Amino acid sequence: MQAIEALFPANDYTLLAFIVLLPLLGAGVNGVFGKRLGKEAVSLLALSVIFVSFCLSVVTFLALGHAQEGETAARFYWKGWEWFHLSTQGGGNTTLNVAFSVDALSGTMALIVTGVGFLIHLYSTKYMEEDPGFHRFLTYLNLFIFSMLVLILGDSLPVLFVGWEGVGLCSYLLIGFWFETEANAAAGKKAFVTNRIGDFGLLVAMGLLLYYTGSLDWSGMEGHAKELLTPMQVWPLGSHVPAASLLPHGAEAWLNTPRYVSAATLVGLALFLGCAGKSAQLPLYVWLPDAMAGPTPVSALIHAATMVTAGVYLLCRLSFVMVLSPAAMFVVALVGACTALFAASIAFAQNDIKKVLAYSTVSQLGYMFLGVGVGAFTAGFFHVITHAFFKACMFLGAGSVIHAMHARIHDTDQSQDMRNMGGLRKYMPYTFWTFALSWAAIVGLPGTSGFFSKDEILLKAYTSFVKSPVAGNKLSDGNTTIELFSWPTWAGGLLYAIGLVTALMTAFYMTRLFIGIFFGEFKGWKIVKSWKAPAHGHDEADHGHSHAHEHAVPGQPLEGPTPHESPWQMWLPLAILGGLAAVSGFFNAAPLHITPFDHWLEPVFAKAGEAVQLIEDAEGKVPVFLALAFLAFAGGSGIAYWMYVTQKGEPARKFAEAFPRFHALVFDKWRVDEFYDEFVIGAVDSLAEFFTWGDKWIVDFVLARVSAALVSFSGTALRFIQTGRVQTYAAVMVLGLGAVGWFFVTPKVNATTHADDATGAYTVSAAPGLGYGYRWDLNNDGKWDTEEFGSQTDVSLNLAVKENRTVKLEVKNAFGRTATRSFSFVRPQPDLSGATSRLDLPSIGDGAVHRPTGLVHSLPKAGEAR
Amino acid sequence: MNMLGNYVEHYTMLSGALFTLGCIGFLVRRNVLVQLMCIELMLNAVNLTLVAFNRLHTGDMNGQVFAFFIIAVAAAEAAVGLAIVLAFYRLKSSVQSDEADQLRH
Repeated sequence: MQAIEALFPANDYTLLAFIVLLPLLGAGVNGVFGKRLGKEAVSLLALSVIFVSFCLSVVTFLALGHAQEGETAARFYWKGWEWFHLSTQGGGNTTLNVAFSVDALSGTMALIVTGVGFLIHLYSTKYMEEDPGFHRFLTYLNLFIFSMLVLILGDSLPVLFVGWEGVGLCSYLLIGFWFETEANAAAGKKAFVTNRIGDFGLLVAMGLLLYYTGSLDWSGMEGHAKELLTPMQVWPLGSHVPAASLLPHGAEAWLNTPRYVSAATLVGLALFLGCAGKSAQLPLYVWLPDAMAGPTPVSALIHAATMVTAGVYLLCRLSFVMVLSPAAMFVVALVGACTALFAASIAFAQNDIKKVLAYSTVSQLGYMFLGVGVGAFTAGFFHVITHAFFKACMFLGAGSVIHAMHARIHDTDQSQDMRNMGGLRKYMPYTFWTFALSWAAIVGLPGTSGFFSKDEILLKAYTSFVKSPVAGNKLSDGNTTIELFSWPTWAGGLLYAIGLVTALMTAFYMTRLFIGIFFGEFKGWKIVKSWKAPAHGHDEADHGHSHAHEHAVPGQPLEGPTPHESPWQMWLPLAILGGLAAVSGFFNAAPLHITPFDHWLEPVFAKAGEAVQLIEDAEGKVPVFLALAFLAFAGGSGIAYWMYVTQKGEPARKFAEAFPRFHALVFDKWRVDEFYDEFVIGAVDSLAEFFTWGDKWIVDFVLARVSAALVSFSGTALRFIQTGRVQTYAAVMVLGLGAVGWFFVTPKVNATTHADDATGAYTVSAAPGLGYGYRWDLNNDGKWDTEEFGSQTDVSLNLAVKENRTVKLEVKNAFGRTATRSFSFVRPQPDLSGATSRLDLPSIGDGAVHRPTGLVHSLPKAGEAR
Repeated sequence: MNMLGNYVEHYTMLSGALFTLGCIGFLVRRNVLVQLMCIELMLNAVNLTLVAFNRLHTGDMNGQVFAFFIIAVAAAEAAVGLAIVLAFYRLKSSVQSDEADQLRH
């Protein structure tokens, strides 16, 4: 340990760079040379970079444990380079670095990502062996691990955002891995677009955090988080609502009333929107079930164990921001609970084993958000870890089953349909036993990891709540005072009830899945009679392999090998994950008071923990909750056992026949996709149609066609005067020369006059010209003062009050031509009675008075030219 | 001065007459060769003016040097112009300038 601490000091922990960059190296080499390297080399490189990264994560984890003695949080930091400068409100400057840091939270997450990631890489080398895109697959997986590590280890929100988008990209690439089938590409696109909606929220949160805290890195934001406790006007967006004045007065006043929320609430909700997109919460969960179009290891790694938990990680990371807003936390908890319940209800009626697991994932993510929302960050994050183990194990087990079924059925939909399975316990013992362990964990068999993590969340849902961040629950910035939301007393009961019902449902549908795959008789000798191809468009996303054959004819016996156990590269990861799923609960077994994990994360959540409160006598209720949790497990799986083993599925069939429409509704996932198609996508389509119309008729027609026609028409008209003959142009040129010549030959009398009525000084300045001579008549006698033309251009006069004077000027140019013009001046009565009387001066109607200053243009009068 | 005196007016009048003749000839004749000759006429009218006015400036020879430059430019112009006429004749078998009206289209 000393050696590591000496080599890598806490403020320059270079090891982080290796952890992050090794997977990128693997992705780069495999991406560029993968095709030439061959499968063995590609596997070796992809596996070794992740394995080394994992080992370094373990070293880091141990070093962190060594450094984190007592209550202080240990944090290792490594700065890559300076990224950019930001000027913030109030003249502050923020420097943003490409920097990484690791603490107890991110260190644990990095262990999960590299550890589970390595097992899934190992599994993939066998699962994807036959695929022509083998090297591409491992490249994407390595790139995913890199992006995920950037997301986890980034020291500021923008760096995290790079990883956040990176994992989104890899998710898109891997969902659409078999892009030859259009539905797979569409599923990838759906995931990407849905995530964009969430990313909008994350960007808004980032902007607000920068505005209020003046910083974007963890320590800076944590230090200034209290600045978020200020009222912020959210309505109207400008000074008033446009066109509101058209409404009746009462409605206008109501619309224009400024509305305030706490900035912390807005930041919390925006952050949660981002997390809801990435972690598939209501209402943005729709992409995750479709994401099952990707290869099964992808579903296990990205869409169960790691990427979808990034939202939970982010809320834990920014726990000090979230707890400042009880309202946002309540929304998180409520949405999490509702998602858990809603997704579990859909999982009831699905027959595709990957679909069941996908909805189960959405449901479990809902649990995590429920835990985070009530302020039990450790419990929520602990469920991330146990879920990573048991859900990855289940997905890989499902992959193993599909691998075996596909060898018989050669059809992606049919080989994933649990009605074609059954009795696989006999043929695939390793898969069966590992699946059994993870099944026990997810349904909450006492002692397994899922039991402890889920129970802790349910317990905290009832007992824990977020208290007001300010005394008196009033927020004021001096001008505005708002009252903050406070948690209702019934919140705990409601959240707990939803969670418990979901636990019961989870136990039921998971047992149904487990029984359907592994118990009873093997039904895959022929395709079930009632099997028909999925009817709805979005179901098409189930199509997987590019070499998917035509659907086998229902009812006909199939030729093909008996289902067989998968090779060791596939069952070894299953065994490790299954073992962890069974025992990892003891990292944080609160009922048994074994809580090393809680203790480990305590410094990270210390600040958030201050804002969270437990109800009275929380400890005393633990036995009741344990009993209820056990009842949910026993009840759910017992009913499923009775229904599907004792009664051979008769009650379920009868129920479906009794309520066919209800069954179809649940089978069609409550038709949420259709609802979105109709309203959200329909609205976007209408908008697009509107703009298409504008593009077609305004841009293309009015702007392009009409103006082109105008130009073309004027061109046609002007072509008549273009003869194309050189003489015509020469003649026009000669005419033009003539006109210019005439202009020079004609003299022009341009003169500026200046009048000063008060002193009686008047001046006339004649403009110069080529060869000009001037003669003047200044004394009103009608004769020129000098007969000769001289060079005097300026004259000045002094007039007495009320005196009239007409000045005449004659100009002669070099060609001997002359022009004349006259200027009349009248000096008015001096102003004696103040400024107002100036208005009473008699106006001179002939326009001959020039005052005070003006440029006079005059062409020579006809006949004056000599 | 000399026997001709300083009567620049005479030269400028002659020059103006020559220039007008060249100009009218260029405008009314359709034969490109004749038009080229008219251009030469106008250039030489200008040369004459330059040389004539140079007599008023006894110290320098700028006007006459300019005339030489114009003669050189005129030679180049004649070479290019005749080449164009030749090319045009090959194309149209004619040297009538009003047949060269393709540019309007």
